[in-house]
Amino acid sequence: MDFVTLGGNLLGTIPLGDIVLYVNPFNLFLFAVLLGFTALIAVSKPETQVEAAKFNTLDNAQVKVDEKEFRQRRFLSVICGIASAGAMITGDLFNFTLFMALVGILNIGIVSAVKQTSVLNSAFNYGLIAMMCSLPLFGGASIILASTGTLSLAVLSQMHASPMVVFGAILMLIGILGESGVAPFFASKAEMFRTPGSPFIVIIHLSSLFIIVRAVEILLLVLW
Amino acid sequence: MVFIPPFVPETFITMYMPAIYAGLIVGFIATMAIAMKREEIHILILTDLVGLAMIFVVSAVGTDLAEALILPGLVVELAETLAISEILITREMRKIEQDPRANLTKSSSMFPQAFSLDMEIMTTAPNFIALVLIGYGIFLTGFTGGAVAGGGIVLHAISKKARGLPVLLLDGIAGVSGIAWCLWIIGFLLFFVAPQYWVLSLFLAACGLLLKVASKVGLIGLLMREDIDKE
Repeated sequence: MDFVTLGGNLLGTIPLGDIVLYVNPFNLFLFAVLLGFTALIAVSKPETQVEAAKFNTLDNAQVKVDEKEFRQRRFLSVICGIASAGAMITGDLFNFTLFMALVGILNIGIVSAVKQTSVLNSAFNYGLIAMMCSLPLFGGASIILASTGTLSLAVLSQMHASPMVVFGAILMLIGILGESGVAPFFASKAEMFRTPGSPFIVIIHLSSLFIIVRAVEILLLVLW
Repeated sequence: MVFIPPFVPETFITMYMPAIYAGLIVGFIATMAIAMKREEIHILILTDLVGLAMIFVVSAVGTDLAEALILPGLVVELAETLAISEILITREMRKIEQDPRANLTKSSSMFPQAFSLDMEIMTTAPNFIALVLIGYGIFLTGFTGGAVAGGGIVLHAISKKARGLPVLLLDGIAGVSGIAWCLWIIGFLLFFVAPQYWVLSLFLAACGLLLKVASKVGLIGLLMREDIDKE
């Protein structure tokens, strides 16, 4: 499918050698929203928040997070926001997978200093799933490269999809699902939110949400 | 559409499909193994195997572009492994923080009866051997060096543990791995910013990798001990 059909009028292209970035309202909107959210995170003050009281226990145990940990978490959240903004605007299939993997690593990093062992446990499990899913993710992209000879989305959208490309796209879809922790893999990721620090933790959720939207566009571009 | 230079032999082109099948089969076997194993450290090592299968599939393409893809793939794989081991280290630190005695109890004796060996060499030799291993690892530098140095750290920890002394290596390992991250990333950055200093950046990256692998091997040793104690 042509990207004009999917994302509205083409506002312009930014040729960077082999990689051609294309800008249309759809991409630009996703990009701007993520950058705006990242800016909100960057200016928010890491004051000590008290949240996430333990449920199902008689003692009202509250979890406190010190400021130092908040600063580290904010830094990683800002990078995570920038990485997912990059995934929104990129015009290259492999750059998208790399941004995707980077977001996965940063999601683990944001909760890496949390004190609750249950959160660390689920982060560990999510990390394992993300690592296993790098096989279909990168493998799918390389199969598409091998059968078409290019990674540029602008060129890929003009091509007719051969069976090998379809196979590669399906592999990529599995990889994206695992790496962003949605659909069949959410069991490991859902527990990661059970920690205080609202603006910084939300980026874990938001980045995977936006990346799924963008992945749908990319898979449609490649397949049709 | 796909351009294949005429001087590429036919055998290389026909090797593409078997290579992809091999990669997918290796990945499948590794995931099956992960489904069977329950110890965390085994799962971590087996997950590395899935990463290797990914390298298989990407490198099967065999063009310049694919070669440019293998490096980021490797780096991502390495970074993910490091991030997960970091998570494990943090979790172990929290567990020790909550219950400091958990690290010391439940030791299994090698001998069936109470047996005391009061010899000078039992206290000095392990430290010396650990020091030699770490020194040799630093001399080798890089991945093998890291493995050797990590072996030294594990030996040191185990020998301390055997004598009933508290093992508080985790703090040190976490600190060292932080420095290793910085060295590695600075070395990597310098490659792109100032290519003429490639020797310096190579050494920075190698030293970072050495420290990182050493800390990872040390972690594997410490976790293995915990798994053995669990039985």
